[in-house]
Amino acid sequence: MQSKRRIVWVAAALLALIPSLALAQDTKKKVAFVPQIVGIPYFDAMEAGGKKAAATLGVEFIYQGPVDTNPVDQMQIVQNLINQGVDAVSVSVLDASSIAPVVEAAKAKNVKLFTSDSDAPNSGRALYVAQATDEGLGFTIVDEMVKRVGDDAKIGIVSGEATASNLNAWIGYMQARAKDKYPKLKLLAPQFAGGTAQRAAQIATDLMTANPDLKGLIGVASTTCPGVAQAIETAGKIGKVIGAGYCSPNTARAYLKSGALGYSVLWDPSDLGYLTVWAGKQLIDGKAIPEKVTPEGMSHPVTFDAKTGILLLGDPAVFTAANVDNYKF
Amino acid sequence: MRRFLSPFGGRESLLAAGCLASGLVFAYLSPYFATADNLFTVARNSNELLLIGLGMTLLLGVGGIDVSVGVAMGLAAIAVGRLLLAGAPPIVAALAGPIVGLALGFVTASVVVLGRIPAIVATLGLFGVYRAAIFLALGGSWLSGLPIGLTNILTANVLGAPLSLFVVAIAYLAVFVAMRFTPFGAHLLASGHSEAKARLFGVPVRRTLIAAYVVSGGLCGVAATFYVATYRNVEMTIGGSLALEAIAAVVLGGTAVTGGRLSLLGTILGVALLRLLQNGLLLVGVPSLWQTVVTGLLLLLVLGIETLGGSQLLGRVTSAFATRPARGAAR
Repeated sequence: MQSKRRIVWVAAALLALIPSLALAQDTKKKVAFVPQIVGIPYFDAMEAGGKKAAATLGVEFIYQGPVDTNPVDQMQIVQNLINQGVDAVSVSVLDASSIAPVVEAAKAKNVKLFTSDSDAPNSGRALYVAQATDEGLGFTIVDEMVKRVGDDAKIGIVSGEATASNLNAWIGYMQARAKDKYPKLKLLAPQFAGGTAQRAAQIATDLMTANPDLKGLIGVASTTCPGVAQAIETAGKIGKVIGAGYCSPNTARAYLKSGALGYSVLWDPSDLGYLTVWAGKQLIDGKAIPEKVTPEGMSHPVTFDAKTGILLLGDPAVFTAANVDNYKF
Repeated sequence: MRRFLSPFGGRESLLAAGCLASGLVFAYLSPYFATADNLFTVARNSNELLLIGLGMTLLLGVGGIDVSVGVAMGLAAIAVGRLLLAGAPPIVAALAGPIVGLALGFVTASVVVLGRIPAIVATLGLFGVYRAAIFLALGGSWLSGLPIGLTNILTANVLGAPLSLFVVAIAYLAVFVAMRFTPFGAHLLASGHSEAKARLFGVPVRRTLIAAYVVSGGLCGVAATFYVATYRNVEMTIGGSLALEAIAAVVLGGTAVTGGRLSLLGTILGVALLRLLQNGLLLVGVPSLWQTVVTGLLLLLVLGIETLGGSQLLGRVTSAFATRPARGAAR
């Protein structure tokens, strides 16, 4: 008797829960984001931005991703989210060729699937939330350098792997900017350090030795950034040679403060996370995104190209000694 | 058997000639090469490779190999870096490097010697594990801008040279003494030559192998302390290419990959040649991608000349001028 009564109670409690669950589902739309990997500061920052957007825009934000950069695991997580019945899911794609099946699955369940941070073009995704263009990153780093050393200067470039297409694209835009806008600026041929800060430091030191009139050093790969900065510090050339690069505020912080790095150019991943959730809400609501719009809760406008489906966060962020402490990634 | 001690064997003289020749070419082509500052920089940039190369010399000599030395150094460097960031006295942080290194050496030794897994496979496995451990320990955020205390200690002026130079010299001297004046040297080379035969002659093969891996681990740990002191950051990709560089320098120096023969002086010269080329080619303005091509070709040239018999001639010429006859050259 005792156990039967308990079963009745539990069943009643469960029955009572169902409507409240259903209610919760009705009131808030669910936007999910699947990063390439969880537990690194970059995606932590995107998560924080997404949470902020969810609070502002009145949606529920789900953040789930693989513990290793494994495309198969990532696609399984996306599939699970679709099965759970989220309304929109965004992916920072690890492998553009493996995304097709989940795009189909999402369409079948009327889930809006889009990409963010890393794209899979021609996959049928609804849109792509892009952090910055290669052009923007390449131009900005040169413009910022000229602001500091003038346009009649010699600048060294230390890159990572010679095969990295994104790094080479940035270097290409740096050279194009120098050629078009600053004809007197002399960008030295890029040196490739591979993946280690150690080799980058060696190369940076040797470049300063070979070019005593060097005014600036740009570390293109995130691993070369600290190497370049350390080389400038060790050589006692802080202030004489301006270091720069594409590296996160956490990596650059100490060097920005010591003056070895003048600035670092990147984007703000928390803004990117915010924009991702905003874009998800627009898709769920079925609203067309205008060409230029300032999303609710953001301080600057973003641009949307309907033809390519790219929603662009905007100009890259420039981190300096003055603002670096505002960023935690 | 005693070839590793001869001051100017064939390979060593060839390498010395290579260093000198490339140095002269670079000095001719670039006014910045033959300056005290630049050569000092090259020497400072060689420290870690010299230490890891010393361990690798012993490992190859005993018939082993370890491709995880670079990432093992990385793990030890994280310990050093974290201690520095936590405000530990630099001397404590400095000692943490070798301690972690020795521990990792024990791990490698257990896997390879006690687990009886072929060294190249076992250490490739450890490479993967250590790389993942580095990733987890750093959690995607690198240690950067570490306090300068440790740097000041290792660059402290002792009798006109930085302390780090003495540490490297002492390491080489200690290994030299152990190789020449203790049974360890004979045991190591005998084991490297043929494990089975060495065992028949009563050589404690396993103990010798374990010792070699542990010493190599300890040296990686010292290298870690040097790395943190020099670059003051620990990045995710730390040490990725160091193992291959070390193997290249050691083999270049005349140590046999198959074991049974090693040269400490050869390793020093091998490291010197590699680092001189990296530095000089950049100073004279060789485009980045061609630098690796030129380096690769020169390595092939050095190894090729010996095969063609040129170095024997060179060896005889130089040994005629050496204060002590090159005992190895005749054997």
